Amino acid sequence: MNRVVRWLRERIPVSGEVLRELTNEPVPRHLKRWWFCLGGTPAYLFVVQIFTGILLAFYYEPSQSTAYESVRYITERASYGWYLRSVHKWAATLMVAAVILHQLRVYFTGAYRQPREINWMVGMCLLVCTLTAGFTGYSLVYEQLSYWGATVGANIADQVPIAGGFSKRLLLGGDSYNEHTLSRFFVLHAAVLPATMVFLIGIHITLIRLQGVTELESGEPDDGVPTYFNFFPDHFATELAIGLVLMVLLSALATALPATMGPAADPLTTPEVIKPEWWFYVTFRWLKLFSASFAVLSMGLIVFLMFTWPFVDRWLRRICPRTELSVWIGIVAVLVLIGLTVWEAIVEH
Amino acid sequence: MTTDSDPASADSPEPRRTFLATLPAAAMAGGLLASYGTFAAFCGRFLYPPVRGAEIWHLVRPVGSFPDRAAVDYRTPDGQRVTIRRDGSSGTVADFVALSSTCPHLGCQVHWEPQNTRFFCPCHNGVFDQSGAAVSGPPADAGQDLPRFGLRVESDLLFISLGETA
Repeated sequence: MNRVVRWLRERIPVSGEVLRELTNEPVPRHLKRWWFCLGGTPAYLFVVQIFTGILLAFYYEPSQSTAYESVRYITERASYGWYLRSVHKWAATLMVAAVILHQLRVYFTGAYRQPREINWMVGMCLLVCTLTAGFTGYSLVYEQLSYWGATVGANIADQVPIAGGFSKRLLLGGDSYNEHTLSRFFVLHAAVLPATMVFLIGIHITLIRLQGVTELESGEPDDGVPTYFNFFPDHFATELAIGLVLMVLLSALATALPATMGPAADPLTTPEVIKPEWWFYVTFRWLKLFSASFAVLSMGLIVFLMFTWPFVDRWLRRICPRTELSVWIGIVAVLVLIGLTVWEAIVEH
Repeated sequence: MTTDSDPASADSPEPRRTFLATLPAAAMAGGLLASYGTFAAFCGRFLYPPVRGAEIWHLVRPVGSFPDRAAVDYRTPDGQRVTIRRDGSSGTVADFVALSSTCPHLGCQVHWEPQNTRFFCPCHNGVFDQSGAAVSGPPADAGQDLPRFGLRVESDLLFISLGETA
């Protein structure tokens, strides 16, 4: 055994001391609370998605004539296919929820402020990638929602001034949904987006490591408990516990509410009632309220403001130093988002 | 061997030396840009789909076999659904209207609702009258009627244009 360790040490000259030094980032005490660990949750779910996604890709066939049947095969015939597909679906749902909650936590604690503006923008890119991965993911099943969701999505892109038509054609591989579209969605979903997200998560974590975790402005009571604790093993154990809870939750959801098959895509008939996944309810309702070009331009402006919020916030604090305007704007935005989501959820049209 | 090759000598002026030193770097930069630029252009062209060709006319059916004051559901070879209605009996193209069933808002298929005499788009609640004019919903807000296909009558045969919509 010693010989093996010595052999490895010669070839990988990293000692336990160096490893401890590298990983023992001091973590502020408030991270003992689970809701401050929402950044690790989507990262864990991302790993679940990569793992289950690779397994699903063994059977999935991205073409109009085979996609739906291959998903049916996974769901109904492949051993534990129903379980893996359901875990993939539920992990996607929880990942979107966790990313949104993580972003809300960062927003309302002001953790995006100087010097963390770039990391906020990297996080926004990760939010966009997560939503796009969700969209391309349910497009792959090639059921009615997949087909019409992809059609509507591409036509939303078409409304963007100047680059719209180009983006639509690039996304669909033609003027409308055609035999090349599904493979494009598959490549985006299974290669381009995951690779981009690995890159962005790397930058996100590196920046957190370089800048340290944000300390809460309100501070902690001076009760003699140390202000910081070690990343390893303390915080690592917390993340491990969250990982265990998530695995149990994913398995429970996959078993109780497994992923089902909707009707196969019919390019000639849009269903009487059609809704996207819940995380696009806001966009869907917005598109019903306004003309397409206004809706798309206003959504673009909102996303742009979200990207640049650290700078908008600095400007707001300069003109109104005594009021936490960002917090009030955030509260109104969250209420509007919840309102539009509930509205879309409870009505048929 | 002579001492003329000494870089500090007066025979090798500074500007010429600087120029000669930057030449390989510029050539390298230019080469990289040209080679990788060409590669990127090829990749972009590979991904971008070919633009649709010229306008194509497809035969629908003989004018004589088209029922008077009626509508037929026609499917184009590329899979689009079109409602072709005949409103006159002169036998000319003026008798016919070809309405696309693709909603101009975001591309869903509209449904004909006979009880309400309207086309309805279930995606974002767009409503059109029987002539295809937008009545309410986002298409009406943006003034987007149902697209019409070009038609032509030749030798008593009705043709539909699969190029640009009129």
